[in-house]
Amino acid sequence: MDHALTLDGVTKRFGQFTAVSDLSLKVPKGSIYGFLGQNGAGKTTTIRMVMSIFHQDEGTISVLGHSDASQVKDRLGYLPEEKGLYKKMKTAEIVAYFGKLKGMDKSTANLKARELLTQYGLGDWMDKKCEAMSKGMGQKVQILGTIIHNPDLVILDEPFSGLDPVNRDMMRDTILDMKREGRTVIFSTHVMEQAEQLCDAMMMLHKSKLAFEGTVAEIKQGLDKGIRIDYDGDGSVLQQLPNQERINDNNKSAEIFLKPGSDPQEALRWLVDHLTIRSFDISEPSLHEVFVRTVEARDAGLTAAGLAATGGNS
Amino acid sequence: MANKTLLVAQREYLENVRTKTFWLGILAVPVLIIISLGAGWVLNKLKEVKTYAVVDNSEPTIGRRVEMTARQGDLRAFQKAMSKTGKAFAAVPDKGELPNNEDTDRLYQAMLDMPATDMQAMVEASKGFDKAKKFQRISLSELELDHLEPAEQEKALAKLVDDEKLFAFFTLGKNPTKDLEGFNYVSNNLTDRELRDWYDNAATQVVQSLRIRDAKIPRNVAQRLQEKVEFREKNIDDTGAISDVKVSQKANKYAPVAFVYLLWIAVFSIAQMLLTNTVEEKSIRIMEVLLSSVSPSQLMSGKIWGIAATGLTMVLSWVGFALIGVWLAPMIISGFDFPLMAVVGDPRYLISFVAYFMAGYLLYAAVLVAIGSVCNTLKEAQNLMQPVIIMLIVPLVAMIPIVQEPNGLVAKVMSYIPLFTPFTMMNRAGGPPETYEYVITGILLLATVIFAFKAAGKIFRVGVLMTGKPPKLREIFGWLRQS
Repeated sequence: MDHALTLDGVTKRFGQFTAVSDLSLKVPKGSIYGFLGQNGAGKTTTIRMVMSIFHQDEGTISVLGHSDASQVKDRLGYLPEEKGLYKKMKTAEIVAYFGKLKGMDKSTANLKARELLTQYGLGDWMDKKCEAMSKGMGQKVQILGTIIHNPDLVILDEPFSGLDPVNRDMMRDTILDMKREGRTVIFSTHVMEQAEQLCDAMMMLHKSKLAFEGTVAEIKQGLDKGIRIDYDGDGSVLQQLPNQERINDNNKSAEIFLKPGSDPQEALRWLVDHLTIRSFDISEPSLHEVFVRTVEARDAGLTAAGLAATGGNS
Repeated sequence: MANKTLLVAQREYLENVRTKTFWLGILAVPVLIIISLGAGWVLNKLKEVKTYAVVDNSEPTIGRRVEMTARQGDLRAFQKAMSKTGKAFAAVPDKGELPNNEDTDRLYQAMLDMPATDMQAMVEASKGFDKAKKFQRISLSELELDHLEPAEQEKALAKLVDDEKLFAFFTLGKNPTKDLEGFNYVSNNLTDRELRDWYDNAATQVVQSLRIRDAKIPRNVAQRLQEKVEFREKNIDDTGAISDVKVSQKANKYAPVAFVYLLWIAVFSIAQMLLTNTVEEKSIRIMEVLLSSVSPSQLMSGKIWGIAATGLTMVLSWVGFALIGVWLAPMIISGFDFPLMAVVGDPRYLISFVAYFMAGYLLYAAVLVAIGSVCNTLKEAQNLMQPVIIMLIVPLVAMIPIVQEPNGLVAKVMSYIPLFTPFTMMNRAGGPPETYEYVITGILLLATVIFAFKAAGKIFRVGVLMTGKPPKLREIFGWLRQS
């Protein structure tokens, strides 16, 4: 398969600190790809290297088939986590400015900016200054500035952070639109639900090293199944469940993992006795669970190989 | 690629130039200058008439003569000025006669009726009139004190001074030809010496002439004895001959001061603008968005050039105002003579001003943009700015000494320190420095600018994406060593 982005053995150091260590991954063209990891795991550094804002110390990065990303800068769209707008510029001007910086000619950029703003419901704001807009509108303008030049690869760093549900949906729809138009979208997040719902494939960084990479199915393959319940009642009794190994209690729902060889039916009977169960489901662990387990396992000094062992296998 | 630098520069420029505050700021400078000049003039005009009295204890009395000398001194200055115009004024009273207010008014009127070509003379003459009108003597009989004993008179006058009904009073000693015992000036305001100096002067003249007469020194001998030595300023002109100093040459000597001052203000305020802009842009988190499209060096040079254009617009507007002012001044203020074309037309000034402005700005811009890139708030930036400001103050302090001795040791040494080169060389323009000095200091300056740009680029690249505490100096040197 053709790849929009390939990293091979990439390492980046800042003085004594290694931010990214020996990272290799492949992002298929036309996919939505997630960069997962805790804060400080090296996601942003990786993205900055891809954008050639930083240069790797070791390894190779190939973006859209070019080894030097600065050659294809104009085909990339990037929305950093820290994003701002020139407050004194008019909305249409700033979107067009971003387009021009990507090599669009003046009249095309101006025209496209107005077109996009109208399309995304900001038609009335075109000639207003950015400082007059709400945060959500500002985010929209930033996204439009990122995609005005029809980039082949769009990289979004934490695009969902700080957004209300309506704007989250807007962001999700924009990402899906881009995929439909055949673009490759990479986004980083630590909201696992989002990644699980949106991503065709993903990778996780842990303390500058690659923890896993692949599609959701590939990542979950071989991991023990868990019980997911929605319940009413006092969740603290869950701790007394026999044969339980680990419980992620969310107050109204919970994810329960049993010791190897235990019978889920028995657990269900016990749960029905102690709580009001609204739904019951046995399935692969959530991405959230995979993430937390990975962090715990790796913090305990184990490699990805050891992950299956701690999780056990039913 | 250069296209992107231009885009950044263009945006910076337009953003500044499009705001009303930018133009108001430009306009504010000449307006403030006019206001402060005008305020000084008005204040001077508004100065109250100072009233004084004289207790004359001298024997024989000299009070009347002192008064006359003081008043006539003014009138004589007027007469002297008038004589330059080639017109006679019969209005000045003969010696020995005390001019009265009508004389003064008449003269004043005559002065106003003079043709405009005699303006210069009028200005000088009006200085004398200002004094004559500003100081008003109130005789003791007007105060109804003339029947009292001198000691009683002093007591009464002291009370009047204390009650602010009188500005001051003088007492003249008993025997001025012998000693100056009893010559006093009594006032509550001893800081304003104008009245005192004016009266002192006249009294000195009178006492001197009395003593000369007592010593039986012939008048012409006395005059010769009292003559002051005044050297006339001469100059060596282009042909090598000694000639009188022209006004334009004097202006030329001091023109560098004006240029250095303008240069300094321009470099300082524009570089400061760049610093503020960089810190602000960092704080609104737009740097990384931009860096996904342009390289750090494009962004940095775009900013520097954009702000340079903004600053040049500002400076040129000021120069424009100054030129208009210099052109208009002779029509409004009489006696104003500034050889505009002589200075503007001299390549030593305008060309080197533009060249040194660019070099100086680029040098300090590189330093400040580097500082701005590592700071997150203006406060942090101001702390880091301090050493730079101290550096910038040096040429300002050295400005007058250098213009006085443009080829002196201090001037020469400072020319070779690149941080000072633009200011010092501009400062020395009246000298002027040798050609080789222009060449060597120019090369040094250029090399430093290039080096500063490279170093600033390295700091900017890393610093601009940093958040949190500003880095330590040691860390910054670390970045510089990296390729």
